[in-house]
Amino acid sequence: MTLRRTLLLTTFLWVGAISAAHYNMNMEKFSTWFAKPSERKLRIGFLPVTCHLTCPVTNFINQQMEGDGLFEPLKFSGWPELKESFLSGHTRATFILAPMAIALREQGVPIKIVYLGHRDGTALMVQKDSDIRSIADLRGKVVAVPNRYSNQRLLIFRALNNAGMTIDDIKLIEMPPPDMPTALATKSVDAVTSGEPFMGQCELDGYGRVLYLTKDIWPNFISCVLAVHEDEIRDNPERIQKLVDGIADSGMWLEDGMDNRMAAAQFVSKRYYNQDPRLLEFVLSKPPDRVKYNNLALQKENFEEIAALGKQSDILKGTVRFEDYVDTRFGEAAEKRKKAYAYEAEQALKDLGGQ
Amino acid sequence: MKNIHLPLIVAALFLATWHALVKWSGSDLFPTPWQVALGIVELAQKGVLVKYIVASLFRVTWGFFLAILVGVPLGLLLGWFRPAATALNPMIQVFRPISPIAWIPVAILWFGVTDVAPVFLIFLASVFPITVSSMAAVQNMQPVYVRAARNFGLSNTQLFAKVIFPACLPQILTGLRIALGIAWLVVVAAEMIAVNSGLGYLIIDARNAGKRYDLVVAGMVMIGLIGLGLDVAVRRLEKFDEVRWGYANK
Repeated sequence: MTLRRTLLLTTFLWVGAISAAHYNMNMEKFSTWFAKPSERKLRIGFLPVTCHLTCPVTNFINQQMEGDGLFEPLKFSGWPELKESFLSGHTRATFILAPMAIALREQGVPIKIVYLGHRDGTALMVQKDSDIRSIADLRGKVVAVPNRYSNQRLLIFRALNNAGMTIDDIKLIEMPPPDMPTALATKSVDAVTSGEPFMGQCELDGYGRVLYLTKDIWPNFISCVLAVHEDEIRDNPERIQKLVDGIADSGMWLEDGMDNRMAAAQFVSKRYYNQDPRLLEFVLSKPPDRVKYNNLALQKENFEEIAALGKQSDILKGTVRFEDYVDTRFGEAAEKRKKAYAYEAEQALKDLGGQ
Repeated sequence: MKNIHLPLIVAALFLATWHALVKWSGSDLFPTPWQVALGIVELAQKGVLVKYIVASLFRVTWGFFLAILVGVPLGLLLGWFRPAATALNPMIQVFRPISPIAWIPVAILWFGVTDVAPVFLIFLASVFPITVSSMAAVQNMQPVYVRAARNFGLSNTQLFAKVIFPACLPQILTGLRIALGIAWLVVVAAEMIAVNSGLGYLIIDARNAGKRYDLVVAGMVMIGLIGLGLDVAVRRLEKFDEVRWGYANK
């Protein structure tokens, strides 16, 4: 055979075969490709952290109880990609850092916070044998936070304020949370703080010690919220209501006994987060109020405190008000009728194994 | 395949050193080769290994394929028409050094987190080397070929199809080989975008999975091995008579 025939033949065979295989194994089916956004399932962006746990829990329970469901959770590996996907309109609902949502609003993005994702669920970790015993000991040390728009960064600002120190007293750096356990283990940083389960991992693997849990230094701490594009609120308010109801109900379900939490650790780790279930089991139980999922209604004073700290730490300008970036009606309706899903932990484990 | 012993010995030495260094450092974070092998087996048993390989190959195939469709004709054109090269070359040189990682935000904003975004990134990474090597191939061609062809009264189309393209083929093929390497190289960066499959995704996802660096390295190993396979496949093309004349070492 000549070069030309070989090339043409192998190219077409290969392109055809690999495309067919990929379509078969990994892609959405053809019939959904040209559906309008409102006819598609609502894509919801999330990261594999406990702050976003209600997203997979809602999806899993919905799927088991009602079949395929209205939502399609989409897992990201970092904040920038999650945010950009929202900006592109690919994910019209997303779990996102509260200050990041407010900052986007200040920059003119039509984003509305509709509900909280969690309360607490962050720890400040130091090395196990470290001398650091209090915030004051952090003077001159390297502290890693996930992102400049993270509430963990604001948490550091708040803790320093309370200790009579300023941000210049420590060395603050940004680091993706998955890298934090390794950084702490290799002693490249003195302290790390991010959402769980990455902090629990430092503890579980034996090189990290909890300096503070958020509930000790900022009770009812909020890091992530559920935010939606204004177009989605306009076009499909009933779908958003159903989503918020689901988040509220799965929040209640997660607070309805340790069995539910342990079941969630199993199905979320295996089906969504792709982590060792031991991690979620640990952070959801030691102690049980390490992260909380009731009390998810939007409260003005929480956000005003976040906005004020955001301004102090130069990430927010303070040009938007609570009413601009928040839409409370879905949360208010959900609060009135929320109750834990009627779904047994045992059934969840059965459903997980049976598929 | 005659000389398979030497590479195998080097590989064995490499694995032994790797194992010894991990043991010697006492690290429980970085995996030994055996742990990585177990990681690969685990992925295969879960059924995701083949899926991920197919996904990555799919994206690289299309990105690279589109880059050839654009890059080779464009390069030939620029090589042949001086004014075109003068006009476009500076722009190409501006775009060429921009890393695909820098294009990630743009790709997500334009294409969302679909398969199109990584294909676009791989296209960008490989189209410039292909264009530049095709252009250089025309510019370095022996002028005597063209003069002889002109003497035989070939039309412009004939000249391109019968003389210029065949004359440039060996160098174009070398360019393609390098570009394919680059295309495969950027698969990790391209799959940082939250697609839910692919070897790059495997690496990023394993970082989120706690202490699963065995899976990170497993992803690296698979990328390396497939890269070797791709190179071997492209090298076979160099054995054909149409291009063999162009290489010094026949």
